[in-house]
Amino acid sequence: MNPRRRGPLLGLVLLLCAAVLLVLGALVGSTGFDNPFALGSNDPVGIQIVRDIRLPRTLGAWLAGALLGLAGAVAQGLFRNPLADPYLLGSASGASLGVALALWWLGAAAGSMPWLARLGITGAAFVGAVLAVLLTLLLARGVQQTLRLLLAGVIVGVVLGAIKDLITIASADILQALQGFMLGSTGLVGWPACALMAVLGALCLLLSVALAPVLDGLALGEATAASLGMPLGAMRAALVAVLALATGTAVAQTGLIAFVGLAAPHLVRSVVKTTHAGLILLSTAMGGLLLMGADLLARWLVAPQELPVGVLTAVLGGSYLLWLMHRRGARGTA
Amino acid sequence: MSIGTERPPALEARGLHARLGTTPVLHGIDLSLAAGCWTSIVGPNGAGKSTLLRTLAGLLPHEGEVRLFGRPLAQVPRRERARRLSWLGQGGVAEGSADDLLVYDVAMLGRLPHQRWLAAPGPADRAAVESALRSTQAWDWRDRPLGQLSGGQRQRVLLARALAVEAELLLMDEPLSDLDPPHQSDWIRSARSLAAGGRTVVSVLHEINAALAADAVVVMDEGRVLHHGASADPATHRALEAVFDQRVAVHRVAGQWLAVPN
Amino acid sequence: MNGLDTIRSRTGVRLRIAAWPWRLLRFGFARVLPVLALLLPVLLGSTAHALQIADQRGSTVDLPSPPRRIVSLLPSLTESVCALGACDRLVGVDRYSNWPASVAALPRVGGGLDPNVEAIVALKPDLVLATESSRATGRLESLGLKVMVLEPRNHADVHRVLDTLGRVLGVDDAPAVWRSIDASISAAAQSLPEGAKRTRVYFEVNSAPYAAGEASFIGETLSRLGARNIVPASLGPFPKLNPEFVVRADPDLIMVGDRSGQGLEQRPGWARIKAVRLGRICRFDAEQSDVLVRPGPRMGEAAQLMARCLREHGP
Repeated sequence: MNPRRRGPLLGLVLLLCAAVLLVLGALVGSTGFDNPFALGSNDPVGIQIVRDIRLPRTLGAWLAGALLGLAGAVAQGLFRNPLADPYLLGSASGASLGVALALWWLGAAAGSMPWLARLGITGAAFVGAVLAVLLTLLLARGVQQTLRLLLAGVIVGVVLGAIKDLITIASADILQALQGFMLGSTGLVGWPACALMAVLGALCLLLSVALAPVLDGLALGEATAASLGMPLGAMRAALVAVLALATGTAVAQTGLIAFVGLAAPHLVRSVVKTTHAGLILLSTAMGGLLLMGADLLARWLVAPQELPVGVLTAVLGGSYLLWLMHRRGARGTA
Repeated sequence: MSIGTERPPALEARGLHARLGTTPVLHGIDLSLAAGCWTSIVGPNGAGKSTLLRTLAGLLPHEGEVRLFGRPLAQVPRRERARRLSWLGQGGVAEGSADDLLVYDVAMLGRLPHQRWLAAPGPADRAAVESALRSTQAWDWRDRPLGQLSGGQRQRVLLARALAVEAELLLMDEPLSDLDPPHQSDWIRSARSLAAGGRTVVSVLHEINAALAADAVVVMDEGRVLHHGASADPATHRALEAVFDQRVAVHRVAGQWLAVPN
Repeated sequence: MNGLDTIRSRTGVRLRIAAWPWRLLRFGFARVLPVLALLLPVLLGSTAHALQIADQRGSTVDLPSPPRRIVSLLPSLTESVCALGACDRLVGVDRYSNWPASVAALPRVGGGLDPNVEAIVALKPDLVLATESSRATGRLESLGLKVMVLEPRNHADVHRVLDTLGRVLGVDDAPAVWRSIDASISAAAQSLPEGAKRTRVYFEVNSAPYAAGEASFIGETLSRLGARNIVPASLGPFPKLNPEFVVRADPDLIMVGDRSGQGLEQRPGWARIKAVRLGRICRFDAEQSDVLVRPGPRMGEAAQLMARCLREHGP
């Protein structure tokens, strides 16, 4: 097959699978798999559950996964490192710290900070993630040097994580509430959250596809990219902004879900060789499908209980990658 | 070599100083490279050849002045500079970095200075890419990913990328690395025809014989220009022999100038 | 030698050889017996108090005498020791123990899961009370300290732990303490009007959401109060639920900790739950949450809190 056609074909397959899973998602819930024909008009609770809980949750899982896949592709292109993930610049620790602080203050002085109550845990996670990335940029004094940026990201991640640990030690009842956030969950995603993720996701996607040429150029070397007339500093800064925005949005709604951002670009690359624009688009679709599938299994396997969705993303994505590696090793060449 | 007085020199350097980190590498270079000419820069290892080329391309900070077709380089807008000056770096592409890009897409990256944001490639872009790939005999593998090619094949694709820019000025650092003799002579032939067509080629070469095939030669040592003259000029040959400690001798063989180990 | 000599003068030489046992006997009565008399209560006392008690791991802890310096690494154990009147014997507690108020003055030795071994050893305790999941138990024992692992998980456990602690401490208040807890729970149950009973309750422990099911100690208390738990025992003590389950179950009343309960009404689909619609949500502050989640002597107070909630917000 013409390798140029593989990209669009993969995209089509991913979107079709997502559509199928969306329908399945409406049918799977705390009662296991519901017979679609049994959901008649004599079960208003059931219909309302499908409309208000299952559909937004399934769609929300796709959107959050898409944001994480997008962020992962951008991170791996920006740092030219296949092990990069969306949380590289400290955004995970920033979000956790934001949530810990919000829980602490909300409990301690709920009345005196009404704006905090309105911002909510979700807003606190988002603000925390974005501020952490800004701190990283400040520490690295700009985006020019990739290695310094990575190092600053590690430092910020570790320091903010330590502060969060101190806060949880100071008040034990925060620890439980925080754990729910850290494990990651798609269970409480509603329609407003979906709308927010869709809008911000579309913005991030458009920006990153427009900026994708700088990632291709950088793959050929910094000097070559500069000689092609691209404003490297500004474009890199814009890509870091996209990374922060996409990660912060996803984490705010679903907590810290690992592996989707790391695995989605690898899964795409194992099937298709393409420029970064194509990689970003396909990683978005792949990440969405991965998290949507994981969410479906999380609530189907032990209904009415739920497994942590992060465990399932690791199992699904990881097993496929393992199989790929095995197959590649058996064949001998890439 | 057509040195018309109506065209300003393609590149001019005046009092050029540059450093790598804290070490000064170029010590006061004054140079004027004519347009429509193929100039090669030669010298022993560590002479500062690559640094000079990068500084002329505007890729390194420097003290002193660099002029591009008569205008100070700093005043030329970035995209215009990218359209008029094409750069090919030394050492190819790091392993793994661009492995997934298809050959055609790599060559198409050379058209970026001519394309607008989010614009799809136009017919002019496609024609330029095809002609560039054909001239380096890489057209047949245009749908293969870069990672599946050998070192020499990758180098030819990168050359095509530099040619696809269709710039008036091409700066190439060690363009012959990894290339086998037939493809080396292919490249020499295309450099000659580019110069004959009015474009300017400046190449850093450590293959002295290829360097002697150029129109003009710049001989460098220890961050200074020792000699700049026509490749057929005996003074150039003496300068070459001197800079390599008389371990080479330049002779005319079969219509070409060749440097032979002494 | 008078009496003996007199006997000898009558019976001859034979009796002179047998003089020494009499001398020994007299020495014994004169000297050894008084010493024995002094030592006897001590000997008897130590054999009476020397204990070998098996803890929750099944390992035996040797206690020659009731411990006088105790370190507790679990808040419910701290509270149990104090309820048995041995608060003055505590020399160190974990950072989460905060009741009674006198405990606040004691040195803190880290958490239950991450205790500060050095600090514990420096306090020279003769008994350390730890949880099963504590990682320092082996280390402390290898340093020569005696460690008892006790971790109550339900009402029966609390009773058993109180009894064990009573024997360890050498006090006999344990049955009385348990009776008062039991009576408190029963009183709370009786204080509820008939209508408040059989309320369908959802007790949320954590916003993941983790719920307290019928099989947990919280669930047991609720059952004794007559309320019904929407989470059946088959799901285990603290299951992580699909939020949809709660919507379908449609509880009459929700009990939740203040911090975890943030934004509960805004969860998708939860607006139609009866408890949310009618505002029947009991939010417990940090202090009350502490009482509710500790399986210890304050379970009676916990029952009172839950009963008050059922009275005020019940149907």
